[in-house]
Amino acid sequence: MGDKIGIFLCECGPNIASKVDMDRIAAEIAGLKDFGDKELVIRRHKLLCSNEGKKFLEDEINSNELTHMVCAACSPREHDSTFIGVCKKTKLNPYLYTMVNIREQCAWVIPDKEQSTDKAVKYIHGGMNRVLYQEQLFENQLDSNCDVLVIGAGIAGVQASLNLASKDRTVYLIERAPELGGKTTRLHGLLTEQGSNLNMISQKLAKLKKNPNIKVFTSTKLESIIGFQGNYEIVIRNLVNNDTTEFMAGAVIVATGYELLHAGESAYMEFSDEHDVHCGLEIEALMAQQKKVLKKNGKTPTSVGIIHCVGRELSGYCSKICCNYLIKISSYIRAMYPDVPVVHYIRDLCLPTKDSQSFYKDVREEGIEFKYISGLNLKGETVKYADPYGTEGTDEHDMIIYAKSVIPAMGTKELAQLLNIDLDEYGFIKEAHLKINPISSSNDGIFAVGAAHGPANVADSIIQAKAAVAKISTQLIPGQKIVPEVKVSEVLEAYCTGCQTCLKVCKYGAIYFDDAKAVSVVNGAVCRGCGNCVGSCPSGSIRSRHFTNPQLFQEIKEAVR
Amino acid sequence: MSANENVMIIGSGVAGMEAALMLSKAGKKVILVEKLPIIGGKTIKNEETFPNLDCSTCLVAPIQQSILQNKDIQVLTYSSIEKVSGNRGDFKVSVRKKARYVSLELCLGCGMCYEVCPVVLKNEWEENLADKKAIYVPCSGSLPNVPVIDREKCLNLNGTEECTKCVESCMFAAIDLKDTDQVLEFSVSGIIVATGYDIYDAAEIDRLGYSKLDGVYTSLEFERLFASNGPTQGELILRNGKKPESVAIIHCVGREESGYCSTVCCMSSSKHAHFIKHKLENVRIFNLYSDICLTDKNYQKFYDSVKSHDSEFIFQADMNSINIEEAGDKLNVKYLYKGKVEQISTDMVILANSLVPPKNIVDLTEILKIDRDKYGFISVEPYEIGSVETSRAGIFVAGCVEGPKDVQSSILQAEAAVAGILAVINE
Repeated sequence: MGDKIGIFLCECGPNIASKVDMDRIAAEIAGLKDFGDKELVIRRHKLLCSNEGKKFLEDEINSNELTHMVCAACSPREHDSTFIGVCKKTKLNPYLYTMVNIREQCAWVIPDKEQSTDKAVKYIHGGMNRVLYQEQLFENQLDSNCDVLVIGAGIAGVQASLNLASKDRTVYLIERAPELGGKTTRLHGLLTEQGSNLNMISQKLAKLKKNPNIKVFTSTKLESIIGFQGNYEIVIRNLVNNDTTEFMAGAVIVATGYELLHAGESAYMEFSDEHDVHCGLEIEALMAQQKKVLKKNGKTPTSVGIIHCVGRELSGYCSKICCNYLIKISSYIRAMYPDVPVVHYIRDLCLPTKDSQSFYKDVREEGIEFKYISGLNLKGETVKYADPYGTEGTDEHDMIIYAKSVIPAMGTKELAQLLNIDLDEYGFIKEAHLKINPISSSNDGIFAVGAAHGPANVADSIIQAKAAVAKISTQLIPGQKIVPEVKVSEVLEAYCTGCQTCLKVCKYGAIYFDDAKAVSVVNGAVCRGCGNCVGSCPSGSIRSRHFTNPQLFQEIKEAVR
Repeated sequence: MSANENVMIIGSGVAGMEAALMLSKAGKKVILVEKLPIIGGKTIKNEETFPNLDCSTCLVAPIQQSILQNKDIQVLTYSSIEKVSGNRGDFKVSVRKKARYVSLELCLGCGMCYEVCPVVLKNEWEENLADKKAIYVPCSGSLPNVPVIDREKCLNLNGTEECTKCVESCMFAAIDLKDTDQVLEFSVSGIIVATGYDIYDAAEIDRLGYSKLDGVYTSLEFERLFASNGPTQGELILRNGKKPESVAIIHCVGREESGYCSTVCCMSSSKHAHFIKHKLENVRIFNLYSDICLTDKNYQKFYDSVKSHDSEFIFQADMNSINIEEAGDKLNVKYLYKGKVEQISTDMVILANSLVPPKNIVDLTEILKIDRDKYGFISVEPYEIGSVETSRAGIFVAGCVEGPKDVQSSILQAEAAVAGILAVINE
């Protein structure tokens, strides 16, 4: 059967028709010499994207038994999916259709009608050349496993597990520590309700233990993981007895939390173990255990200095949670010791929840002082500081409490390597897109929640856990197959020299090396068709389906002729 | 499993759109209700977003397109909620769809109608820095790109005269002056409220001179002034026709009055300084601030760079001591430095207005019968930390209508609300 190309010219009302000469386009295309041996069906329509226009296209494709189709209309961004939808209703494979933009690229930008008509003819000619080199592609369907591996059993991991587990979805929750609960269990109180957190997390842990669809592994780490969204083969290892367990899962949530930067890293913090200098978490632990804060000699402190932002100059970001928790701690102190002076040393107050400012005002009214500083030096329990205008001062205290920078949890780097996900410059897990896809990692199917991708308070961590739950529940639906991208790369084995350049440039971990054949292999289920490997391959042995060199060359050659 | 798989989302900013797309992916039907004639929310008023200076349109337009092309999402623009009854899993909602007078199906967005319309009005979407006609799209790049007629101002619809210029100009017979409001009834299992924010009315603070002094702009006015699809195509031309040589950016406008830190303004002010400096090389920029609040690990780097390259940052122990006065064709910004009054002579002042609950929040929350907090934002269940469910079970909240937040936090909250809705449906 010979090629029969349908060329559809959309007038887009007056948008295209008034700015290019539609009749001349039709005539010139009909007379193209290099298409002399091809059968062309050239039609124009007032508005192809309208319901009537779509029906018209469908009828034309069917009645003419078209083998290829070119739609000369607006931007593919606007209506490519419309015309693909039309193809899917017919026998024409959607990958044997192409769209040419004669509105934004011709009608709207070239005032001279003759010139814009010339350009439109060239573009359409390019599209016709291209479409003949296009190949049929067929969508694949893959079974997917909907179970989820959650790494880290702090508040975020626990919350995600509780919300995800159901009779159709098993959650494997692994935790490196021997106990569940993470750092939140070490706190005495949460900002909103003092003393409520232990209760909250113990309730959640109790629910977790009762849930038959959550399999909990403590003292356990991830040993290996291979695969892609919907199909991960996972091995975990018990750190005590070295036993391994294998299972399949469709998605991974990383909820490995944070560490605190060691205060000794900051040169201006000079103190030793003899001094009454404590970080916020130590005070929380004291409060949780003893319900009071005493000096190391067992006596009541008589003057407390609270230092914010320790280590911020090293970490390079605001840790976001510290102002709030230090204010919370000063309220503990005030409640215990109504007459003890308490001074906060702050550079900037970061009060990121809507209730933090009124809480701050409350503690200030209770006589807690806030001194703005531009710098300070701690020696023992003595604070030397400079105010924002450079005026210096010295305050003697007998207890110092300070906030340390929140930094990525130990082992985050190794874990990221195992999972093949990107880290940001600070070592936290990097978002797929900071603004519009903050919960996904650079690898489809792997999500980061809570402090694993940056400082986060308890409420934020829970919200992020729920966000990951929503992502997984809407991407991995029990019983539903996954349809991977079809416009992906493929390696032509005969030309591959085995240099492995492509493995390095692939952002998605979609390429692996077949040692037996000594060639690279693209996993089509993981590849997103970005084309990086195509460009980097020195032997030209990788091609990107639907964007092959001949296709692009054929399209461009008319435009630049 | 609940029989009702429909979900209503009120508000089509980044939070509402994210929730709508996610739910449609899970096979749910979404009714997306938006009071404006266009979707996209306030993010599209920005030229670029902080801290990576991503083009906002490039981020949001594909999302808007996916919403408009999605068969499972029924978009009701120019619409508002009138009545809600029922309970979690089974709500009945009445929506008033205001007459648009222009058919969403027939109109192509060619713009002929507004060219011929004789009525010139102030364009609120452009923060009144540009004009519009009585038949208009709020800005170029509006989605859906279909105009709407302001029926109070249209000469024909308000009974002034038999003007039919727009109708005659339309080649697609898309304009119908006999269009009427419709009240539509929906049955939904859950509702997500994502109606965003407004900014604090700086005219309330007399000493800042806003609305009296031409050189004083709000943060949103500046965003439009800087936008390439805005009133000046992104040229920084002041109301007096000049380009500024000196700019003061005042932080925390309304923070004291609102009672909370709005968390995004330090970054947007830094971004504004960066924008100005990169457009007008010799300009001097001063940020007057009291606390720098940088709520994301990625923010400080940007702020540090602005502080070292683009703007001076002047600490203010008391933001209330700032006064802005007219001095010839300049503005004097008076502030306290070491307890003494100092002043900067500037051409332009940009106020970093607090984010406040949207103007219609009282009506909306009363219709929905949900609680507000002491600031007027929608409150979430108090006893469940990290909750996104309001005081009425089955009604969830996302984005700035729950409190000030940046784009990513709004999106995360929207996703969390989707998890909540799915739990309602799957019960």
